[in-house]
Amino acid sequence: MVENNNKPILQLKDISKTYSSKTSFLGGCGKEIVALNHISLKIFKGEIFGLVGESGSGKTTAGRLIVKLEKPAAGKIFLNGNEITGLTGKVLKDFRLKVQMIFQDPYQSLNPQLSIYDTVSEPLHIHNIENVQARKYLVIQALKSAGLTPPDDFLHRYPHQLSGGQRQRVAIARAMILKPKFVIADEPTSMLDASISAHIFNILLEMREKLGTTFLFISHSLAAARYLCDRIAVIYRGNLVEIGPGDAVIQKPKHPYTQALLDALPKFGHWDEVRRYDTLLKAERDTYQDEGCPFFDRCKVAHKEKCSRERPHLTAAGDSHSVACFYA
Amino acid sequence: MALLEVENLSIGYHSQKGYLHAVEDISFSLEAGKSFGFVGESGCGKTTLGIALMRLLPPNGVIGEGRILFEGKDLLKKSDEEMRGIRWKKIAMIFQAAMNALNPVHRVEDQIVEAILAHDLMHSKEEAMKQVEDLFVLVGIPKDRMRDYPHQYSGGMKQRAIIAMAMACRPTLMIADEPTTALDVIVQDQILGEIKSLQEKYKISIIFISHDISIVSDVCDNIGVMYAGQLVEYGDKVEVFSSPAHPYTKALLSSYPTVTGEKYKLEPIAGEPPNLINPPSGCRFCHRCPSAGVSCKTESPVWFELTPTHRAFCSYIR
Amino acid sequence: MGRFEIGSYEMSMEKLNKKSLNRMPWMARFRDGWAIYRQNLLGKIGLTLLVIFALMALCSFIPPLIDPMYQPMTGVDPNIAKSTGPSFRHWLGTDFMGRDILSQLLAGARVAFMVGVSAAFMSIVIGTAIGMIAGYMGKFVDTLLMRLADMIMVMPTLLVVLILAALFGQLNIWTIVLIIALFRWPGVSRVIRAQTLSLKQRPFIEAAKVAGASHMRIIFRHIMPNVLPLAFLYMTFRVTSAIIIEAALAFLGFGDPSTVSWGMMLQWVWKTGHMFKAPYWLLPPGICISLITLSFYMLGRAMDEVLDPRLRKETGTG
Repeated sequence: MVENNNKPILQLKDISKTYSSKTSFLGGCGKEIVALNHISLKIFKGEIFGLVGESGSGKTTAGRLIVKLEKPAAGKIFLNGNEITGLTGKVLKDFRLKVQMIFQDPYQSLNPQLSIYDTVSEPLHIHNIENVQARKYLVIQALKSAGLTPPDDFLHRYPHQLSGGQRQRVAIARAMILKPKFVIADEPTSMLDASISAHIFNILLEMREKLGTTFLFISHSLAAARYLCDRIAVIYRGNLVEIGPGDAVIQKPKHPYTQALLDALPKFGHWDEVRRYDTLLKAERDTYQDEGCPFFDRCKVAHKEKCSRERPHLTAAGDSHSVACFYA
Repeated sequence: MALLEVENLSIGYHSQKGYLHAVEDISFSLEAGKSFGFVGESGCGKTTLGIALMRLLPPNGVIGEGRILFEGKDLLKKSDEEMRGIRWKKIAMIFQAAMNALNPVHRVEDQIVEAILAHDLMHSKEEAMKQVEDLFVLVGIPKDRMRDYPHQYSGGMKQRAIIAMAMACRPTLMIADEPTTALDVIVQDQILGEIKSLQEKYKISIIFISHDISIVSDVCDNIGVMYAGQLVEYGDKVEVFSSPAHPYTKALLSSYPTVTGEKYKLEPIAGEPPNLINPPSGCRFCHRCPSAGVSCKTESPVWFELTPTHRAFCSYIR
Repeated sequence: MGRFEIGSYEMSMEKLNKKSLNRMPWMARFRDGWAIYRQNLLGKIGLTLLVIFALMALCSFIPPLIDPMYQPMTGVDPNIAKSTGPSFRHWLGTDFMGRDILSQLLAGARVAFMVGVSAAFMSIVIGTAIGMIAGYMGKFVDTLLMRLADMIMVMPTLLVVLILAALFGQLNIWTIVLIIALFRWPGVSRVIRAQTLSLKQRPFIEAAKVAGASHMRIIFRHIMPNVLPLAFLYMTFRVTSAIIIEAALAFLGFGDPSTVSWGMMLQWVWKTGHMFKAPYWLLPPGICISLITLSFYMLGRAMDEVLDPRLRKETGTG
């Protein structure tokens, strides 16, 4: 299912992205916020790769850089070995055929003035595909595979007539209609109820089965990532802290931050279990953020000298499992 | 005697399309010092229930029938004046997205002081400020952040400030509607921990409303599962969790991915919740229920008692 | 989350049979829109009034056909040479020259619509295009266009037209329309630009970019339909201001002397000293001007509700 012949379908090499915030509300000079700090990763064909982090971690930024909604400040991105960092014109349009995105907010990612048919068929119009009959057929197929049945019922409706779950499925139909090779799902279920999220997850799994699409699943939920993903990467304040096979990262996490995330998850039935890893400090340390490990100011198991001065890099710590920590 | 007893409460809204039966015939009781969690998905009526308990329904909201007995007295029979004396002082509420309730152009300390003075709790500004200081210690905000503006606070800190405001009067009952929805996992865990410790320390009763059954199960002693305006399962949290009886509860639990235990296939619930303007007769869940029987469509379900502390609203439980 | 959804509620779509689903979506939308519009009282009153005025405008061709003395401008009753009150031959009486007031009123309705709608339409087209381009392009183009708008906006329309009239003599009605349009677009463009700026950030615009849409496509397919409701709304207000400007110009004596408009009628009443002597002549045009502006305003308010689904009176919480 996953073709790992060391030729990744997507590769990020040393990607960095910064935002400069202009003067703050009360004055003060503009600061540079590092959204992504020298990120490198490889995603292989047919896999569902999870990028997990909290808000502000940079996970959404990474997704946006890949679909070229924004430009990286440094580094390169490769699709099937070809560099895509500086594409323009027709080549860019061809790229759009291969890489698509499912957005987080189903209440905002559909144009409220366009019918469902118009929204889902738009990619077909843009890429001058087929005639009217063929377009209608493709739209119906896309709606069916996104779980909206009977598809005819939905063609002429408008977004405000649909529930959140239905809207998100329309967004999936739109993303998948061009049969892209690589799809980024940016927190596709964070605005939806659990029972509907489950449906969305299963649709993504089905698409991977049937079409062989590779997915980058961005989420704040380790549980969802565990369910869906073959491999998981954990990102903290713009830095990748751990990457590995899904089960390994969840069952045997090595980085203190991953461990803190797992500790913080609601126990779901296992109420008497004591906190397992306990790697989080109660109060944050006062430190210089520029040097040393990004997690230093909250890490209980950090060593004051080394961790505050040197920045750890991702190093192997098991079967395709790497951690950015000196003491993992 | 229970602190709060709700009997056969029904609430509706007058909308352009008709009368919406948002909450139908809900009964439950809450002991002093305990916490009760309401779980349900969008549209199930849990938020409506929360604001109805404070009698803060919008103008088109109507309490159809029932009683809300707080400390033995029916809140529905109280005048507006009397309710004003109860709100914030005895019953406090943390609304959804409460962090946005902070006025961005005033300092946080000033806002809480103003709330305290407006409710006649203290009579001088100095007293009120001291109270705010104590509250901030209570919820874990460093004292040197008191004079900041809301935008300088992180999401978690804003939520803590809101909790401090709600605690200002040391209420006996706190209603928290999705207090942690917009927060990150780690902060959420900390806030939930804080709410729990406040509850233990001050013996506050809490009604916790959420769509996330895993959070509710962490914080509450008792759980009520709501679907389409009705309470479908109700009882001690350990029992409800380990042996869910109502098909909806079972389906809800099996649609959550977990990090521990076996990895099972998530089963979504097919279909959509019913239209509450014309609610179906019979069981409201039957169209989506995997174990629906023939009579479920026409006959209303009955309450089935599995144990004295665990009941489910279903005709087919054996 | 707190979003209230009334189950899988579908509007009048359910009543549409299968065949009509194959028709253009805009027809279905029109039907839906009408259903909503119908429920708005202001809208119904406004629309009724406008229909009456429209009928008046259409009927303006009839009186001269009955008898040439009913010509609004040139028709003179051979038996009457001064202003007389309502009678059988002249339902509203005659003006100082013996011309029928009712036919003048009907002709005025025609002019009002022509002037109002054309001027408004032109200013909206210009203003929307400029606003969208400025908002979407940003940076230099935006600054340039907005400075231009500022310069034009500060010039008082009425004064400019008066000066032009003084310089070039009496102006043709279409020249007046053009000038009104050219001076009124900045207001529209500011609002449309603001709308565009906020729309630019919305995820559905980003989704279009990710799908590969060109800038032109995004502006005309995505931004325009979302700003059109606002543009239409502004159009109704512009109509009112255009009508009033034309009336003011005519009243002050700078209108097109070969056109009979309500403002012109008022000028004649005033100039011939009949203001307090002939209420049957003074009141009708004044009332018509007020009513037509009021009815366009009401139309605008009701259309606002139709065009923006979120403004409809949907109530309830989760």
